[in-house]
Amino acid sequence: MNAQIPANDLLVVDQIQTYIGQFHILEDVSVRVPRGSITVMLGRNGAGKTTTLKSIIGLTPPREGKVIFDGMELQGKQAFNIANLGIGYVPENRAIFRALSVQENLKLAERKKGDFERKSDFIFELFPDLKRLYKLPGNHLSGGQQQMLAVARALVPENKLLLIDEPSEGLAPILIQQMMEAIRKLSETTTILLVEQNFIMASQLAERYTIIDDGKTVQEGLMKDLVEDTDLIHHYLGASIKTPKELELEHESEN
Amino acid sequence: MNPKIKKILIGILTAAILTAAVVGIYGYAGQRAFISTLFSGLTLGSLFFMVAAGLTLIFGLMDVLNFAHGSMFMLGAYIGWQFYTNPTFIFGMAPFFLAFAAGVMVTPIIKPYLVAWNISEKWQKALPNIIYALALVALVFAFVGFDILSVADTAMVAATTTTIGNPLAEISAQEPLSTFWLRPVLMFMSGLLIAVASSRPGDKTQFAPKEPHAKKLLMPAALLALTLVSTLVRESASVATLLMNGNLRFALSILLSVAFGFVFGAVLEMTLIRPLYVRPTFIILMTLGLSYVIRELVQYLWDPLTYQMSRPPLFAQPGKAANIMEWLQKGSATIDMYGATVPTYRLFIIALGIVMFIVIVFIMTKTRLGMIIRAGVQDPQMVEAMGINVKAVFTLVFAMGVALAALGGIGAAPFLPVQPLMGDTYQTQGLITVVIGGMGSYIGAFVGAMILGMARAFGDYFALKLSLSPAIAEASTVIIMVIVLLTRPQGLFGKKE
Repeated sequence: MNAQIPANDLLVVDQIQTYIGQFHILEDVSVRVPRGSITVMLGRNGAGKTTTLKSIIGLTPPREGKVIFDGMELQGKQAFNIANLGIGYVPENRAIFRALSVQENLKLAERKKGDFERKSDFIFELFPDLKRLYKLPGNHLSGGQQQMLAVARALVPENKLLLIDEPSEGLAPILIQQMMEAIRKLSETTTILLVEQNFIMASQLAERYTIIDDGKTVQEGLMKDLVEDTDLIHHYLGASIKTPKELELEHESEN
Repeated sequence: MNPKIKKILIGILTAAILTAAVVGIYGYAGQRAFISTLFSGLTLGSLFFMVAAGLTLIFGLMDVLNFAHGSMFMLGAYIGWQFYTNPTFIFGMAPFFLAFAAGVMVTPIIKPYLVAWNISEKWQKALPNIIYALALVALVFAFVGFDILSVADTAMVAATTTTIGNPLAEISAQEPLSTFWLRPVLMFMSGLLIAVASSRPGDKTQFAPKEPHAKKLLMPAALLALTLVSTLVRESASVATLLMNGNLRFALSILLSVAFGFVFGAVLEMTLIRPLYVRPTFIILMTLGLSYVIRELVQYLWDPLTYQMSRPPLFAQPGKAANIMEWLQKGSATIDMYGATVPTYRLFIIALGIVMFIVIVFIMTKTRLGMIIRAGVQDPQMVEAMGINVKAVFTLVFAMGVALAALGGIGAAPFLPVQPLMGDTYQTQGLITVVIGGMGSYIGAFVGAMILGMARAFGDYFALKLSLSPAIAEASTVIIMVIVLLTRPQGLFGKKE
């Protein structure tokens, strides 16, 4: 990757190495996230995508390398300071606070008093269900509702960048569609770095991609180039993945 | 079976057993003995609650079992007792601590500049250590030649020999200002050095925005002013305090104990506990060791003796009040409650426990802090990733827990013998309370504390009546714990893992 940072990149992850305990999880990961776009991180399970997000937000601080957000170096800073610079983090597995009500989950995400009141209309427009469930405790929500709450929580404060980890995981197809719409709408105002296993969803949303394999960045570029490159997809993401091109062919042969 | 029906059945069963027990004991003991034992139980329960509440909050959020909690209960009692009986020690020591705190509080002002310093990595590592050593030297020199024992002793003499008549006679002269002034100055310098070292000069990863200084200046400036005042009034303040209305002095003792517990807890968490979160077993050993250090320190200052703190005037006049109004007017020592004679001071402790329970419920359910704590119990990392300084919340919760223990200590001081081991029983009972109520549950702590209080009180009653060993009261609490552990291992209000 270039040593100098293109001015248009909101986030640059430059050759970071991260350890969890004694395990060397990330060996050489670099990601570029241009302003105002959706970038997706692809890769097999255990490749290090989630750890990359956690290294950016500071939950598993990288030992080597640089993370530059909006011109500031983040590595070594504490997670809450990083988040307060304007980064929202949506963890995988719907990590909402189960002991708190939907309302409290959203209120807790405020960085300034009144954040939630300012954004509530926008949030309820994206996820109308949450308005109905407002007073319910988090552990009464279904999986899909929890996932929506997890995303909604990151929308309460003003964020320049959203890190979203596997938003479609375990969701019913109809909810995946709703989640995709929501993310697309969000990308109009916020830059997004997405981790997504669902290739169809990723390819429809993202402008750029980065493939991580075994703790290393192996490929990056524009999504429209990747969807053409069936070999690359099969090599790094698994042979079972159907590219949009293949789906098209199947569709034609069926007719 | 439907879980809802099961819940209702268990509720009915519990209520039936409880009613049967109450009716049975009431019938056996008669009204007077029952009521007076009931109030003893509530008193003990309140004290157990104040110890257990801190333990359970700290454990719930940080997974830390604080084995020095009983020592902090004891320390709270000593601080309050000192202030109430003869504040010479408190006022004599105040300039030291205030000056030191003023120095440390300069940290947020100088940090942005120190962090931006350009020094080599080698110096970044070495410099803080050198400065810490210098700070220690300044600290030691501040105390050289200071007769700390005689300052502590004056209060001890007052407590053991004087009557309530004239405590003023026991106030001894202090070191003259012409030599004393250097001590707070050295302490301030020591604090300043700590501020420099803990800012980690040159460490660019530290987050230290250069914000307007006016607000940050407030704290050290206020502390410096307090240092100056306390240096000047070391002697006269003791006299003035002792001439004060006894009830007011007692109220101030409570405030001082709580404030002391809060600051002590905060400092303890930041310096000794924070580096050990990654090694939980070490925290247990460390707090256990700390409890011995505190005990020895107290024995060094005040000798391993037992003191009796006199009750404040509101609870001290001989005679029995017929009702609460009469008590509040006359300050009677005892009050008639449905035919039983109950010491009025017990009512005060019960009220204190209930008020604290309400305060905790309010904080946990209605405030942002409570929301953060409840969220942090589940996933502190995620709370941090939302931009909340979880470390600061840990410090705050630890400080509040210790403050609660100190409050229990000063609350108990006028009715328990004040001695270095006074916290140990409460520590054990507090831990049993937490196990019965469920780790991390404040409602469980309250219910568990009341159950234990009742078990202790009625155990004592039956031991006396049936001439059994008095140890049966203490044993009964352990038996209750075993029963709870066998039937509901997570505790009455605990959540299943």
